[in-house]
Formats: sequence, structure tokens, C-alpha cells
Amino acid sequence: MSVTLGRTAGPGPRGRTAPAGRGPRGRLASAFWFLLPFALLLVVWAVVVAATGTPMRIFPQVTDVGSAIADMWASGDLLRHLGASLRRVGVGALLAVATALPFGIALGASPKLAAFFTPLLRFSVSLAGIAWIPIATLWLGYSDQAVIFIVWNAMFFALTYNALLGVQQIPIELIRAARSMGTGRLRMFWEVLLPGALPSVVTGLRIGLGYGWRGLVAAEIIASSAGLGYALFLAQKSFDTDVVIASMAIIGVLWLLMDRLVLSPLERRTVERWGMKSVVS
Amino acid sequence: MVAPTDGALDRAATRTPRRRLAVWLRRVTRTGAVRTLGPFVPIVVLWWLAAELEVFPAAFFVGPDAVLTEFLDLMRKGVLPGYLSDSLTRLAYGIGFGLLIGLPMGFLVAMSAWARRLTWPLLLFFQAIADIAWLPIVIVWFGFSLTAVTFVIVYTIVFPLVLAVVSGVEQVPQELVRAARSLGAGRFRVFVEVIVPGALPAVAGGIRTGLGYGWRALIAAEIIVGTSGVGFMMFDARRVGDVSEVFLGMIVLGVLWYAMDALVLAPFERATVERWGMVRQVEAGR
Repeated sequence: MSVTLGRTAGPGPRGRTAPAGRGPRGRLASAFWFLLPFALLLVVWAVVVAATGTPMRIFPQVTDVGSAIADMWASGDLLRHLGASLRRVGVGALLAVATALPFGIALGASPKLAAFFTPLLRFSVSLAGIAWIPIATLWLGYSDQAVIFIVWNAMFFALTYNALLGVQQIPIELIRAARSMGTGRLRMFWEVLLPGALPSVVTGLRIGLGYGWRGLVAAEIIASSAGLGYALFLAQKSFDTDVVIASMAIIGVLWLLMDRLVLSPLERRTVERWGMKSVVS
Repeated sequence: MVAPTDGALDRAATRTPRRRLAVWLRRVTRTGAVRTLGPFVPIVVLWWLAAELEVFPAAFFVGPDAVLTEFLDLMRKGVLPGYLSDSLTRLAYGIGFGLLIGLPMGFLVAMSAWARRLTWPLLLFFQAIADIAWLPIVIVWFGFSLTAVTFVIVYTIVFPLVLAVVSGVEQVPQELVRAARSLGAGRFRVFVEVIVPGALPAVAGGIRTGLGYGWRALIAAEIIVGTSGVGFMMFDARRVGDVSEVFLGMIVLGVLWYAMDALVLAPFERATVERWGMVRQVEAGR
């Protein structure tokens, strides 16, 4: 499960189409090819809206969205919502990593525990995140904690499950070699199990963050008074479609940045380091 | 002297009744159903104990017995079957249209260099806009309707599917394509007989990922749009503080998805991967 998921979520086009990003010219060219479709999309959007005379209530013009972003920036709302959302994702993700990694690796290290917990975990992964929103708001109220709980919950099970799988994929000779040389439990964890499980853990992190991000938006729509999801919801209530589209674009850009700046480098480092390149690409 | 075989040992073991029980137990625990469902038994017992001993206040946490009563009650009233079929209908519409749009789009993007150049960054970006973020604008367009929910599910399924198809097509070994071409297969035949089957494992994985997201989107959409469905049932129950109904909703959702995943999606994926992935491995081993 994890391997295929990672593979489908990961790669971009290679070879035939994407120009290699080598040297300043290559990078410029690839930036151009990356941005060109967006420019075309904006042009089409502007022309279609202008030609059909779509009212702003249904679909805003490009310039409206631009000025909406500028307004949000000027009034400080943008930073407030951004800060709230990012803080929740950050706290939730950190909590999830801190709790799921030791748990998953401990489970993976014992075949019996792993066999026992695997069906439970698969069940929980399928349920994690959004399905918990009603109960989370009941337990924690319409609050920050409820949203953080959802993010944590969405990530926890996917991370645990993939950490477990990761440990199981470590070649048994490595574990035996380390053990026969008298490695203690703690060193075993830090130097064999954790690094060996890392490629799979990173896959889990990607899947989990994907669920967590969606859970965040849904939870913010339902249960909070700040954050990008809330901004979306508020704007929809008053039919400010320009703000709605602006918020959506911001959510998309944020995820892309997160993917490019955090997940991809992590993936590259762990997966390439451990020689499992073929699994991902 | 001949060493006793496993069968002989088993036969020897069955001589005493206690041993026989042990052998029987071992055989039973080895079956798939027990291994899958067994772990849930202690969890349910723990859950029941926690509720009986009132570890958490009863207003926030109910035991399995209360959930079961609620289940039977809602089944008798016909509320649960109605909501369930609402949810499943939406999901079915979403999956159907999602596949209809996603598969052709995926192969188009994968096969045409120009289509890929012009759409790849957009695909990444639109996938990055979490599907649920579309709900508000979709409600503006379509109102609180089936179309709105279906739109969101289709959106959720299409993008992972397209990305999966593209990576699947890329994984088809170039030699196979060349071999088929040099044997005189036309472009169309190569596509149908080499590229599509070769990409199937990744496509199966993509369908599974997409459905996983689509399922979540359905629940969120039902909570937010709020007209009917299991998601709506849970949130409605939460509003009146009926914990057992919320628990019931979560369990129903979990069981449904787990069953779908284990009985339909995983076998489908395994079949394609085994058929197409393993064959390639065997060939590489020669």
C-alpha cells in the first residue's frame, strides 16, 4: 500500500518533456515551462469571464482576485489566517511525528505485535481525519485544540502504519548483525530501526500530511474562527467569490511550497541515501 | 532411522486431548479471518470496560452496547439504510465520473508531450488545492445538491488518478514498446496492448489513493453541505449531543471503507501488480 501510494504521489515528468534544471539557463527554461501554463490559464480565465459577462457572484475576474489578495494582505487578515493555519499544521504534525514514530517502530520491531496491530491500523487509517471532526468538536469544543487534534489524528495512523511497514522492510541480516555485535536496545532504535524505516516513514509523512491538510481545511470550515478554511467559509456566506478563489489559490500555493521545500528534499535524502530509489521513481 | 515429517508430528500431537486443542487453536488462528478480525476483539472489550468503569464522562464516551442499541434502533427506523444509500450513491456517481474523466485525461497527458508540457504544472497545482477547499465555491454554483457533492468527489479522484496514470505509463519499459513497434504493431495497438496493460499496476494504485481521498471528501461534504448521508448523520447527532450516534457513524464509515478496500480495491491492485509487475520481474531475473 505505502509503496504504491508514494509512487503515485511523487514523481514529476522526466526525460522526454521536462528540461533538465542544470545551470542557470536550464533552470530559467524550466521555470518558464512551469509558469507558462499558469499564464495561459489566467489569460483564458480573463477572456472567458469578460466575454461571457459572468457576474462576480458566480465567478470573479482575475483582477478581482488579485485585488482581493491585496486587500487581505493590507488588512492583515492574510497573515492572521496563514499564521493560524500553519501553526495548527505545524503543531499537529510535530505531535504526530513525536507520537507515531516511536510507537510504529516499537510495533514493527516485534512480529507478534505487528501482526496484531496491522488490521487495527489499517482500519484506523481509513477512518482517520475528517470522520473524527464531529467527535473532536464534541470532546474539545469548537476550538484550536479540536483542529489540531484532527491534524494529529489524520497523520498519526498513516505514520504509524508506514513506520511499522518500514521496520519490517529492513533486511533481517542487518538487525541480526547489529544484535550479534551486542547493540543495546536504545542504540538499535537510533542506529538501525529508525534510519532503516525512514524511506517508508517519509512516504507515510507525505500521505499523512495530505490527509492532515485536507482535514485542516475541513475542520477550519466547521470549527474555528481563524485560518484559511474559515476565511473561505466566511467569504462564501457573503458570496465574496473573489475572496473564495483567492483563499483557494493560497491553499494550493502553500501545499506546493510545503511539498517542494519540505517533503521532496526529505524524500530525496532518505530514499536515495538508503538505495531505494527505484521504489519511488 | 527416518526423521519424522511435520505431518507425523502433527499426528503424534493429536494423541492427547490438550495437544489436540493446541493444534486446533493454531490452525484456527492461522486463518485469515481470525488474523484480521481477532485484534478487534480485545479492543472492543477494552472499549466496553472503559465505558463501564466510566473512565470518561458518559456524555462524551459510550460503550459498544449503547452503539449496538443505537444501530438496531436506526436500522429499524430505516434512518441508517436511507443515509447509507445516499452516501453510497454519491460515492458511486463520484467514482464513475471520476474514472470517466481521469483515465482518458491521464493517458492523454501521458502520451502527448505537448499536453503534458501545458498541463503538468496545472495538475500539480490543482491537486494541491485541497478538494475540500472547493466546497464553498461549489455550493455557490450548484447549491446544496447532489451535483455539489459529486463535483467535489470527482475533483478529488481525478487528480491522483491522472498523476498515477502518467507515472504508470512512464514505468512501461521502453524496450517493450520498441519490441512491439519493430514487430510491426501500429501506434494504436502498442497503446492498447503494451502501454495500457503495463500502466495498470500504477493505475490500480492511483484509483485506490483517489478513492481514499474521495471517501474523506464525501464525509466532509456531507458535514458541510448537510442534507443527508452518514457524514450528516454524525454531525447532526453531534449537534444534539447524541454520542452513541456519532460513534456509530464512525464505525459504519470505517467498516464500509475497510470492506471496500480489502474486498475490492486491494485484490484488484494485487491482481494487476502480480500479473504485470511480477511478470516483468521474472523476465528481469532471466
